[in-house]
Amino acid sequence: MNQVEETLRQEVAKLLEDGTIDVFVGHEAASLPLRTSPCFVRSPKEVDRLVWNRICTSNLATYLPQLFKRPVGLKAEWTPPKVGVVAKGCDSRSIVGLIKEKQIPRDRLFIIGVGCEGMIDRHSVGRALGVVGLADAKVDGNSVQVIGTDGEEKRIDIADVLAASCRECQHREAVLSNLTVGEAPSSAPEVSHYANVGEFETKSSQERWEHWVGELSRCIRCYACRQACPNCYCEECFAEETAPKWLGVTTDLSDVFVFHLGRAFHQAGRCVDCGACVAACPQGIDLRLLNQKINKDVEELFEAQASLSLEEAQALSSFRMEDDQSFMTEP
Amino acid sequence: MLEITLDKSKVQEFLRLLGQSRRLFAPVKDRMGTKFSEVADPSLVCLDGLNTNLSPKEVVFPQWETLYTFKEDQANEVKLAAQETLLFGARPCDARALELLDRVFTWEGIDDPYYLRRREKTCVVALACNTPGEACFCSSVGGSPVGEVGADALAFDLGEQLYLRALTERGEALLKEASTLIEKATEEDKQAVQQAVAEAEKQLQPIPIPEDLAALKESFDAEIWEDLGQKCLGCGTCTYVCPTCHCFDITDETKKGVGRRVRSWDSCAFSLFTLHGSGHNPRITQAARYRQRVLHKFLYCPENFGEAFCVGCGRCITNCPAGLDLRAVLERLASLAKVG
Amino acid sequence: MTKEINEKMSGNGWEPRIVAFLCNWCSYAGADLAGVSRIQYPPNVRVIRVPCSGRINPLFIVKALQAGADGVLVSGCHPGDCHYISGNLYARRKFALLKSLLEYVGIEPQRVHFSWVSAAEGARFAEILGKVIDSVRSVGPANRMIKRFKEVA
Repeated sequence: MNQVEETLRQEVAKLLEDGTIDVFVGHEAASLPLRTSPCFVRSPKEVDRLVWNRICTSNLATYLPQLFKRPVGLKAEWTPPKVGVVAKGCDSRSIVGLIKEKQIPRDRLFIIGVGCEGMIDRHSVGRALGVVGLADAKVDGNSVQVIGTDGEEKRIDIADVLAASCRECQHREAVLSNLTVGEAPSSAPEVSHYANVGEFETKSSQERWEHWVGELSRCIRCYACRQACPNCYCEECFAEETAPKWLGVTTDLSDVFVFHLGRAFHQAGRCVDCGACVAACPQGIDLRLLNQKINKDVEELFEAQASLSLEEAQALSSFRMEDDQSFMTEP
Repeated sequence: MLEITLDKSKVQEFLRLLGQSRRLFAPVKDRMGTKFSEVADPSLVCLDGLNTNLSPKEVVFPQWETLYTFKEDQANEVKLAAQETLLFGARPCDARALELLDRVFTWEGIDDPYYLRRREKTCVVALACNTPGEACFCSSVGGSPVGEVGADALAFDLGEQLYLRALTERGEALLKEASTLIEKATEEDKQAVQQAVAEAEKQLQPIPIPEDLAALKESFDAEIWEDLGQKCLGCGTCTYVCPTCHCFDITDETKKGVGRRVRSWDSCAFSLFTLHGSGHNPRITQAARYRQRVLHKFLYCPENFGEAFCVGCGRCITNCPAGLDLRAVLERLASLAKVG
Repeated sequence: MTKEINEKMSGNGWEPRIVAFLCNWCSYAGADLAGVSRIQYPPNVRVIRVPCSGRINPLFIVKALQAGADGVLVSGCHPGDCHYISGNLYARRKFALLKSLLEYVGIEPQRVHFSWVSAAEGARFAEILGKVIDSVRSVGPANRMIKRFKEVA
């Protein structure tokens, strides 16, 4: 156990004991190696379930809106709970976004911010193993010792299997919190902001099309990307609307394009590049390459980044008279 | 029935030969490990993976298909002849899953023509497992790493060669087509297989499975479902990677007076799965939906078909974005039965 | 001029099919004025009238491409002139991102156009439309996003 984990547990126990919060949303160890699972702690006796390490990949903000919804069919008095949550930089930005969009109340939220040096991407570890499965893994300082199902052991540098969004991350500390635990992260992003997008933009129209056909033909329409994303909280998604019916429900490639273009566009000015969509995808589709394009445009055209502060409106909820219009057609 | 061996160096030629008159579906390398794919070039086939990330059920039950097309008041059934298909390298869990799917698609005498026309033309050559996958538990749910259910022939990887045993007439006929490449299995080969069987079977740790159906029924209102429902994201990943999940949606797609009725995979984990036209949703919480998924597989299907609809492939566990583990759920349910 | 190009390039009989979303108060009125003034412009466009360019859901444009439109034009009031004050200003941001995104996934940029046309600008409307049609003609019939009904065994 590390210092941050220990402090986190102590703080959460205190918050539960003195009634500041009714439930704490954190990470706990999952059964498979290099996996964590969301954890809902309601009693100080359960705080030992909480962990903090290099595999706390998921964005816990996804779980917050449902906690503030009145249970269906409940006729008795109900007040929304007071909810605590542990947040990395990206998670905290998602939380800011959800507060601004009125999906969660700021005054019933207790955010414990933790500085983050980046999380391990299990898909990267999988690729390093190839066709061999992962039997066990142990994070040890800056490397992870993995044992394949063939019995072979390998030591992999965490830097080599860091999640892509973490490599580029510009916001390693929580942008909003009630309490901070641990030290501020010291490392800088390894990869320049939007490097993947910049590189992709050098491709021709035909090459771009072929790339996306290749990537999106892998999609099985499981909606893991959507469900893992904190911004996708719509009770009825455009993809499921029948009046009007925007797209079919199959993996017909044209419909798959409409789904991903639509979802990416609905994230415009809101996506915080937490990487939850990429981590959730069972087919390993690099959705970031799409979302980051919009993020890059938003930053370049509107000088805005999603959800850094509670005060600024999101990019598509605002405008400036001088907004760029060089893209428009003139005679 | 026929027992033969095939030198590994001849596997490509074997598949090329058999693929001349058939569509070949076999595992190939993929960024997620391996995946089943229609293979034109047998040199791409990779039998070294543990199991594919997605199940091969799409060979007989594709993610989507057109049931019929229509124009104004005229409907035309899509009468496309299914092609002869060889599904090569499916693990025994996946082969067994096909047999379970067969029961659903012929249930109570109602034969699903769309499923059956593909299934009838599919010859399954399963590949026994030497090593369990990351989350395998087939032997705990009535399966086996060397199981024969659902396959027309079963192959064993013996290192330098494959040993194949025909299980059905179709399997035997298939193997005989490659008579120029195969050799009759010797006693030594058969011994090696026995050894492989013993090795494989002892590598799996049994896990507790709730088999007391009455106790499972009692668990309907247990707290466990709320606990799990909180974590479940409500995506369809577990359903789509599962070799026995078979629920589907039927939708119409139209384009200027012409249309088609399609069926596509659906998941009981989706919030809209049981949404009624009235707006009422009997399974409105994720807890209710998660419970449904588990009870369907371990209570309702045993009631309807006599067996749990889970072959222990572990894909739902390795792919769940929320880190949920069905084995832990089953263990908790099994222990509830003991207490209650 | 467009008539000559039409003749030169439609050798194989293909004519671009453009879907134009025009805002009721400015661009649609501008298109109407072009008609009333007998200003000639090519017939390749199907017009859809919307109350404001801000009403345009980016999915409209994506769906038009999916349905087989060779090109899409969206036109609204000049910034500052929106009948609903600021609808076009929000739209401008959406359109900038959408055009960039569609180009990024490999939809030829010559297919998707945005413009400002006021109610008094009949001639401007015709000119812009001509330019859009020529632009779409230069990249040929659309074949990337189209949803085709072809049945598979």
